[in-house]
Amino acid sequence: MLGEGSCKVPGGKLVRVRVEYGTTIEGVTITGDFFLHPEEGIGALEESLQGMGVGAGEEAMAEALRRAAEAGGLVMVGITPEGIAKAVRGALRCAGG
Amino acid sequence: MIGPETRDAYWNMALDEAASEALASGLVGPTIRLYLWRPGAVSIGYFQSLAQEVDRDRCGALGIDVVRRRTGGGAVYHAEGGEVTYSVIAPEGLFPGITESYRLICGWVVEGLARLGIKGEFRPVNDILVRGRKISGSAQTRRGGILHQHGTILYRLDKGTMFSILRVGKEKLAGKGIERAEAGVTSVSEHSKATLEELCAALQAGLTEGKEWVPGAWTDGELERAEELVQKYRDIGWNGRR
Repeated sequence: MLGEGSCKVPGGKLVRVRVEYGTTIEGVTITGDFFLHPEEGIGALEESLQGMGVGAGEEAMAEALRRAAEAGGLVMVGITPEGIAKAVRGALRCAGG
Repeated sequence: MIGPETRDAYWNMALDEAASEALASGLVGPTIRLYLWRPGAVSIGYFQSLAQEVDRDRCGALGIDVVRRRTGGGAVYHAEGGEVTYSVIAPEGLFPGITESYRLICGWVVEGLARLGIKGEFRPVNDILVRGRKISGSAQTRRGGILHQHGTILYRLDKGTMFSILRVGKEKLAGKGIERAEAGVTSVSEHSKATLEELCAALQAGLTEGKEWVPGAWTDGELERAEELVQKYRDIGWNGRR
């Protein structure tokens, strides 16, 4: 299955996500007009959500993203883990939770 | 200080990256440059989806190039003769944190606009507004200890073309319609009678004020490396990667 979602972070940028999923999240692509330093770290953020159940809540997703950002020394500008998680939850709105 | 010079989208992006690499390797000093785009082009941010941001068929019909930048941020229409781009390429250690460095460098652009009697105002994260409307947007990357910030300054708006090639997202418009997006943008020509050459001169003065600088030219090494990087920036594998 394929789902799409988006979230406009207050005072920030637009985050769009495309999520491939079955019973778990199989792949996530995060796009938008935000900044992330270093840029290559986007892959680590996307991978951090893989394997989570489609019913996972926004808080759990945001925590996984936060951990990946910390591990990679990533700096987000104009987006937040919570904003990405909200967009992913939106993409999964017909699945799980 | 290099430019103003006019090149196509792929060379413009390749030279920014080549200059950053050459500085990281200690082969050249910091570079400030001004450049124009011929033919006109759309640049999209590192993380943007090509298909979602740009009407490529329309660009093709109008002879407008499309290129993905090495920096994040949003899509920009670099109209031929309607826009100027600047780059600042310097050691990261000379600058404060990300938001503050946008404020600092955008302040140099604001200073340049002030020379034309235009009162610009920095709006975090990365914009300059005139009377509440956007006249300039910038984007920054930091790699290998080098800060590279480039940004666009709108000279003359062709809103019809701009909004026919850029797919302005429904979420971005927040349901207020395309007119709302158009109303949020302005250009130098709406506030000044300055020519494009006079705008370039004012921006050069603003960007270099208080700094030791010399007029410069590309080194052979930078040009050779840029020629290689042009292939990346032309490649659909790069431009269509998201």
